[in-house]
Amino acid sequence: MRLLNILVIGALILAASFVYKIKFDSTLQAERVAKLRSELRRERNAIAVLRAEWAKLDTPGRIQGLADRHLALQPIKSNQFDNLEQLPERPPAVVPSAGNDPIGAMLAPTPDTTGSVPSVAPR
Amino acid sequence: MTTIATKRNLESRWQRVLRSLLYGHDVDRNIKAKARLGLAIVAFAGIFFAIALRLVMFAAVGEGHGGRRSITQDAVATARPDILDRGGEILATDIKTPSLFAEPRKIIDVDEAVELLTAVLPDLDANEVRERLSSKRGFVWLKREITPDQQQQIHRLGIPGVGFLTENKRIYPNGAVVSHEIGHVNIDNQGIAGIEKWLDGQGLAALHMAGLATDQLQRPVNLAVDLRVQYALREELIAAREKYKAKASAGVIADVNTGEIVAMVSEPDFDPNNPREANDPNRLNRLTTGVYEMGSTFKALTLAMALDSGRISLSSSFDARLPLRYGKFEIHDFHAQKRVLSVPEIFTYSSNIGTARMALALGVEYHKAFLKKLGQLDRLRTELPESAEPLVPRHWAELNTVTIAFGHGLSVAPLQAVMGISALVNGGKMIPPTFLKRDQAEADRLAVRVIRPETAEKMRYLMRLNVEKGTATRANVPGYYVGGKTGTSEKVVGGRYSKTKVLTSFTAILPADKPRYLLLIMLDEPQGLPETNGFTTSGWNAVPVGAQVIERVAPLLDIPPRFDLPKADQMLLVSAKDTR
Repeated sequence: MRLLNILVIGALILAASFVYKIKFDSTLQAERVAKLRSELRRERNAIAVLRAEWAKLDTPGRIQGLADRHLALQPIKSNQFDNLEQLPERPPAVVPSAGNDPIGAMLAPTPDTTGSVPSVAPR
Repeated sequence: MTTIATKRNLESRWQRVLRSLLYGHDVDRNIKAKARLGLAIVAFAGIFFAIALRLVMFAAVGEGHGGRRSITQDAVATARPDILDRGGEILATDIKTPSLFAEPRKIIDVDEAVELLTAVLPDLDANEVRERLSSKRGFVWLKREITPDQQQQIHRLGIPGVGFLTENKRIYPNGAVVSHEIGHVNIDNQGIAGIEKWLDGQGLAALHMAGLATDQLQRPVNLAVDLRVQYALREELIAAREKYKAKASAGVIADVNTGEIVAMVSEPDFDPNNPREANDPNRLNRLTTGVYEMGSTFKALTLAMALDSGRISLSSSFDARLPLRYGKFEIHDFHAQKRVLSVPEIFTYSSNIGTARMALALGVEYHKAFLKKLGQLDRLRTELPESAEPLVPRHWAELNTVTIAFGHGLSVAPLQAVMGISALVNGGKMIPPTFLKRDQAEADRLAVRVIRPETAEKMRYLMRLNVEKGTATRANVPGYYVGGKTGTSEKVVGGRYSKTKVLTSFTAILPADKPRYLLLIMLDEPQGLPETNGFTTSGWNAVPVGAQVIERVAPLLDIPPRFDLPKADQMLLVSAKDTR
């Protein structure tokens, strides 16, 4: 009988300490959740501000002003468009290309010929 | 049993009396004690169970409690959904800003608080703040929308009874560019004009009242407007207004097949970030809230009616040798030819006499019914809350039909005319215009057939012909196959038509063989310039502006230039062959 009582008391203490541990952990977790939530809110607000700022920097009026100042480009004219069908066929190669091209090897490495970005800004 | 009996005997007399009072005379105490014990066990078990249940409830609900508090914090100023253009560019968005409030009952030293606060916020009126802080109310706003720097400084002052609330502030990054469409909001973030007000009508206001309008719940709204096109149109209109010294300029680009308004500008406009400007009556949206006599633009409607009736064909002709005399009125032609004109000639020379005779041939009732069918006699409702009722003559006599045939005597909102003319060229389907994104299937569901497709075909031909050799030749942008109709109406000044104050307009379809977009340009009181030879008619001002807009906007609208297109005369033949 006494043994049983001691066992039960021991179990009670164990259970109590276990419950306390769980409670403590859950409090920690809840705090973490609250912190993360407020962090989320702050981040979301920051995103909203950045989005607004981006939209402001992205307005056509501003882009137009920048383009006028820094680019020498003109508005596109309708006769500057063409269809893909109008593109002439690639002319057949005059010299059948052999596997080894001595001139091609001399030219390498090829420079960037996209031409879209001038290497020196006009101003 | 015997022991109990003896015990009973051992008890003193007054003990017996007490026992009989407590337990009754003849009940066995043992059984009773057991029953009592059982009762106590049940009661305590119940109490502990209730406590345990409550604990579980606290554990489960506790988290939600914290969440609810943060929501109320968010909802102080009501969140609104973002407004995007058709490409997803932001037209209006919310950002969070702190606002300063005070709880006057908790403030200890009002004078000190006022002094400290006005030091940080110099634009605060000291007397007003003192008055507010001395009141007995529980809550007063001191200043809405302060900067984070100011918030930090005030926080450091450590004044008791002063606090901050995070509010949503509406931002319009594009400023005045889309002002008339999106409208604006007041300080409490409630829409008071344009799409913003429409949003409130869509249940957002109810959400605000319930305090549930948080950022998470809101879906962004996609408008039909294309920001790039809108910007280009606005820039051209501002330039045109300056060049021709006009009182106002306005323009619409509408998708004729879906009814979407891709761009709408009415100059002068306002900056929605500064709503005070919006109250200036000069800045109102002339396209929806103004009504105008559209002038010769209306001839397109008259011709469509005539051709659709089946009684008048493209080869019919009308006598325009002499001015049309009606009672004491005489109708003249501006580009008088003084001969018998065929139907296409009436359109390209913009003959008042011809169109008036055409309308008279069909009769007053027919004319009225046709305009009613095209929605020109009723108020046009769109998402925008601002709209104007057309000015329709109360007694519609023959004289009214004569003048309305060439666009005088009936004032409509320009957007209404856009809707009507779109129906004439898109194949005969009238689609109510919208400022929200709409797909073709939905547009087809809303469409109402108003004229036959063959008539629409002929109208496109006439519009194209008018650009090739009519009043709108300056709009012939190479490669885009523009069709169009000009309109010049004299404004009524003091009850008479003025010769010098005119409203010019140009309606263009793009491209004319298979229209996708309709462009309307309107100039209010343009002045003659040396380069226009002093003329103020539409062909000299609205048409060149239209050409510039088309050249600039067509690549943005994804319309490829084509140079292999037939002349207008062949266009009709080709389409006639196709339909056969």
